[in-house]
Order: sequence, then structure tokens, then C-alpha cells
Amino acid sequence: MRAFVTRRKRPLGVLTVLAVAVSALVAISVSGAQAKSNAGELKGAGSSFVAPLVAAWQQKYQAARSVKISYNPIGSGGGISAITNKTVDFAGSDAPMTPDQFNACGGCVQLPWALSATSVMYNLNGVKNNLHLTGPVIADIYLGKVTNWNDSRIRRINPGVSLPDKEITPVYRSDSSGTSYNFTSYLNTVSKQWKSQIGSGTTVNWPKGAGARGSSGVAGLVSRTEGAIGYVDVAYALKNHLKFAAVQNRSKQWARPGLVGIKAASLADRKFSPTNALSIVNPPPGKKFRKAYPICTYTYVILRTQSNQAALLKPFINWALTAGQADGPQLIFQPIPKIVVTRGQATLKRVHS
Amino acid sequence: MSVAQERATGPAALQRRGRFRPGDAILYVVACAAALTGVVLLALITREVLTEAWPAMQKFGLGFLTTQAWGDHHNTLFGAKSFIYGTVVTSFGALLIATPISLAIALFLSELAPRWIRRVVAPLIELLAAIPSVVLGLWGILVLGPFVTGTLGPGLHGTLGWLPIFSTEPTVGSNMFAAILILTVMIIPIVSSICRELFASVPQELKDGALALGATRWEVVRGVVFPYARAGIAAALILGLGRAVGEAIAVTQVIGSRVAINSSLFEQGDTLASRIAGQYQGADTALQIASLVYLAVILLVFSLIANLAAQLIVRRVAGRHQIR
Repeated sequence: MRAFVTRRKRPLGVLTVLAVAVSALVAISVSGAQAKSNAGELKGAGSSFVAPLVAAWQQKYQAARSVKISYNPIGSGGGISAITNKTVDFAGSDAPMTPDQFNACGGCVQLPWALSATSVMYNLNGVKNNLHLTGPVIADIYLGKVTNWNDSRIRRINPGVSLPDKEITPVYRSDSSGTSYNFTSYLNTVSKQWKSQIGSGTTVNWPKGAGARGSSGVAGLVSRTEGAIGYVDVAYALKNHLKFAAVQNRSKQWARPGLVGIKAASLADRKFSPTNALSIVNPPPGKKFRKAYPICTYTYVILRTQSNQAALLKPFINWALTAGQADGPQLIFQPIPKIVVTRGQATLKRVHS
Repeated sequence: MSVAQERATGPAALQRRGRFRPGDAILYVVACAAALTGVVLLALITREVLTEAWPAMQKFGLGFLTTQAWGDHHNTLFGAKSFIYGTVVTSFGALLIATPISLAIALFLSELAPRWIRRVVAPLIELLAAIPSVVLGLWGILVLGPFVTGTLGPGLHGTLGWLPIFSTEPTVGSNMFAAILILTVMIIPIVSSICRELFASVPQELKDGALALGATRWEVVRGVVFPYARAGIAAALILGLGRAVGEAIAVTQVIGSRVAINSSLFEQGDTLASRIAGQYQGADTALQIASLVYLAVILLVFSLIANLAAQLIVRRVAGRHQIR
């Protein structure tokens, strides 16, 4: 009987522990909620493309205005989900939001806040950096029509380069990605077959090759696979010493994804869509765009028009559009042109608390 | 205290010996609520998944299951055929490799190994199950993928290339075979640890009896241990299959995510779970989201069938065993 009595007490003991645990959890969540409403912190998430630039801004802005900025580079798609679910104050996306995404978000605006390029990287032993590639050749590689590095179409545009007899393995992003959007939008403009069969988007039905998650996944798979070709944002390619191609633009020039090439492409589209989207891939031929790199993109920040953090958010975004641009060039982000700044500031006025 | 009283359950138990026991009452309420929560949660999840998937179900109907497409015709056509194929091939492939290995491990640890080896190895194998799948996926990317492209793939293609499943040589580390190997690593600890427990529970008298009749070790295993544990083994295998079917993150890291049906395992493919994990966040259109959730519905049905099959097999085999 004694044994029974002690046994009887045990559930109560467990319950006490449970009760303590639950109250502790409640306490933590309450303090968490307080931290959330605490002034002086802005939360963001999204594009990994723009993450290095936001990281530079974080330090400067906190030092200057003592506002803490946190940014979680979970990918453009993740950022759009986060702002839609109201778990962040701002989101970064390299692809402009689709009408369906605007509907789901309910009262969101987007504005371009940074400008850079997507590089086409490759892994070929003994082949130099800046191999020449044209848009149609890249499209046919990803369509599975050009399958070997010593294909005559690649040899013809690379005189003097000895190209190995090696199968080409295209590598792409398997997750929803703004870089994919930029890349496929470009392929849309250079290949009729691509446009009719595959199209552009943050995810498409890739006909050939292997998918990997995130920029790091693509870069990793390409660097471990001899004969692979892939695409990542240029800052990532440079930081990781990857070889990338010089791509022919419509002025028949071989352009590299550097600041000069990006700057030249930046004004290829001056007509904002009603949702502030700009498309600057594959600028037309002509003196103005002679040096333009053809796979450039604006990247966007997405805000809710009604935000409790508006008082903190608006000055930060305005700073990012203006003073913050100075941090760009060292990370291969070209400062955005004046018309884009003006448009952004006008849109920012719609954000209120 | 009589046995009947000891076993009394439900509110009746609270009346035991005519005294109200607050501890028992609280226990009853908490346990009952927990059990109900499980049922309610299942119902709510099913309802939510069906509601979210409804636009795609309405648009594509059952044809979704036999369509091989994802975002074709400018994001208007979606289908699950290639993902169902990928899920079936990778999970059954993994089960095929894992079954003999797991049974061998379980036999070694329960019947053959000296006690000190048993004490060291058994927890280590169970620890394998504790590795987070994302870490296992990274290992797949960094070690397994290059091994498959560099060594295993050319070897298998060279010797067994006449088999359709090895008909092409792998060009890149992400492929269905890498996914199968990763899933194999994931289900071995589950199946082997359950089987080890099962084998250990075979009555010693039965084994001793067989040995006394002059049976060899192998004959004991085949004639006594396996038949005795048959129902349990079947259930363990289906548990392993369930793990393989539902695994998303590790698979998405190594399978190469392509909408394709290839007989060669060295080509890329994708599974239901991997596609959902890869693309749910930030899907471009409402239809794409609905289609992804439609994939989840299929996955749910898959798991349901597997679970029911497991229960059925266990009941049948257990029943037959008792008759014998």
C-alpha cells in the first residue's frame, strides 16, 4: 500500500513540472511579444542576392541611427511568404511580385532598392575565366540541345580556347528564386523555343540538368561537377572565386557582370509597371547599351502600406535608397539611377502606421 | 486489491474505494484531452489540406495523377505523375537495400555478437537515427554525390549497364540513386533497432530446442527467429517505408529536382515531399500553391494506405502465427 501511495503522487509531480514549464513558456512568449513591439528594431527576410548589401547597411544604420536591422536571407520566395504572413517588417525579392502574390499579401507595395547582375558560372578544368557565351547558346545548353563543351557553336565564339570533350551538365535552383526569374527572363528574350516551351518564373520546369537549393547549393554542385554550368548572383560568384562567362549583348560586345556592365544596363527600362517593376534584361543594341551586361536585375523591397513600424521603416528605406547606395559598388551593386530613387520615395509615402 | 479493481478504467476508476482522488481525476482529464487532441488535429489538418488543394483538384481532377508537368504552358498546367514515380522508386529502392542490411545488423546484435560488442554497436546504430535529415543531406551533397559520380556510378554502369536502372552514367552528384542511398541510411537504424528488439524477444526455449535437435545457427534463425518475428518485421519495414516516403529535406538536397521519369537511377527526378519542401515558399501563383497542396493530399493518402497495410499485415501474420 505504501508503494501505491508513492506511485499515486507521481502524476502530480509530473503535473507540477508541466505547469512550471507551461508558465515559463507563457512568460517567454509574453516577453517575446514585448520585444516585438519594442521600438528600435526592424525585421526583414528574403532574397539572398541582396543579403550582403543589407548586411553592410545593418552596421552603418545601427551606428548612425541606433535602429537595429535584422535580415534573414531565406530566399525571395521565403521573403514574400514572410511579409504575407506579417512576420517581418520588410521583405527582399529579386523577382517582382506576381498579381496572385499581391492578392495574397493584401495591401503590399514593392519598390526597387538595389541593382546587380546574375553571372553564368562554369566548371571546366584548364579553361580560363570569362569564356565567351551567347544568349542562344546558353538557352540551348539549358534546353539540352547543346550537350558537349566542344560543340562547334561554343568553339566558334571562343577562338584559341581548347575546349574539352565533356558533357555539359546544367545546374539550376530547385527552390523558388529571384535569380532564376532573372535568368529565365533573359533566356525568354533570346530563344523562341525557351519562351514557348519553358517561359520565365521563380520556378520553371527545367528540361535538363540537376537542381540545387539556394545560391550556395548551385555554386557547390557546379564546383563539384566537372563540366557543369550554373547561375548565381555576381557578388556570390566573385566572393567564392568562381569562373563566370562573358555574355554577348545585343551590340555584339562580350560583356562581363561588373559595375560597368550593370551601369550600362540600368536604364534599359524607364517605364515602371503599375507595381514598380522594371525589366532590364537584354537591352537593345545601340551606343547607350554598348557595354551593357545582358542579365541584370533590379531587386525589390516589399512593404505593407499599413505598418506599425512605419515610423522606423520609412526613414530606413529612404536611407537605403539614397545614402545606403554608396555601400553597393564594393559588393558589385551599382547605385540605382535617380528616376528609380524618386519613384521609390514616392511609393514610400503610401506607407503609414 | 483485486485485479479487476486494478484494471478498472474511466470515470469508474475515480470512484475506487469510494474516495475522490484529485490526482487520478487530473490524470484522466489530461490523458483524455491528449488523446482527443490527436484525433481532432488529424481531422483539422485533413480539412485544411483539402481546402487549400481544392482549386487544383477542381481544375485538374484525377488527371493530375497521370500528368507529367510542373508549371508548363506558362504556369497553368501541373501534374503529379513524375513525383509519384520518384517517390515510389526512391522509397522502395531504399527499402530494398535497407532490408537485408537491417536484418543482418539485428541478427548480429541479438544472436551472434559478444555482449561487449553489442553494448557498443547497438547505441551507435540508433544514434544514426538521431542525425538531423538536413545534416544527412549535406553529407549526401559533399560526400555521397561525388562518390556516386566518381566511383559507384561508373562501376555499376560498366558492369550492370545492360540493366535499365544503370543504363546511363551519372554526370552530376545529384540523382535518384544518391537519394535512394540517403534514404537507406535513414531507415536502417529504424528497421534494425525494431528487429533487434523483436529477435531478442524470441523465447530462449524455442532456440534452445532447435539447437538441441541439431540445428545450425542459420537454421535456428530461419526456422525459429524469423517466423516468430515475422509480423514485427513486416511492421518495421512499413515504418521504414513511411519514413522514406515522407522525407523531404534530405531528398530535396540530393535528388536534383527535375520533372522527369527516367528508368536510369543516375538521372534526376523528384519526390512528392521534396517538391513541396522546395517550392511551397514563394510560389508564384495561387494555382501553384494549390497544386503543391494537392501533392500533399496524395502524400497523405500514401501514408494512410501504408499504415493500414501495416496494420493489416500485422494482424494477418500474427493471427496465422497463433494458429501454428
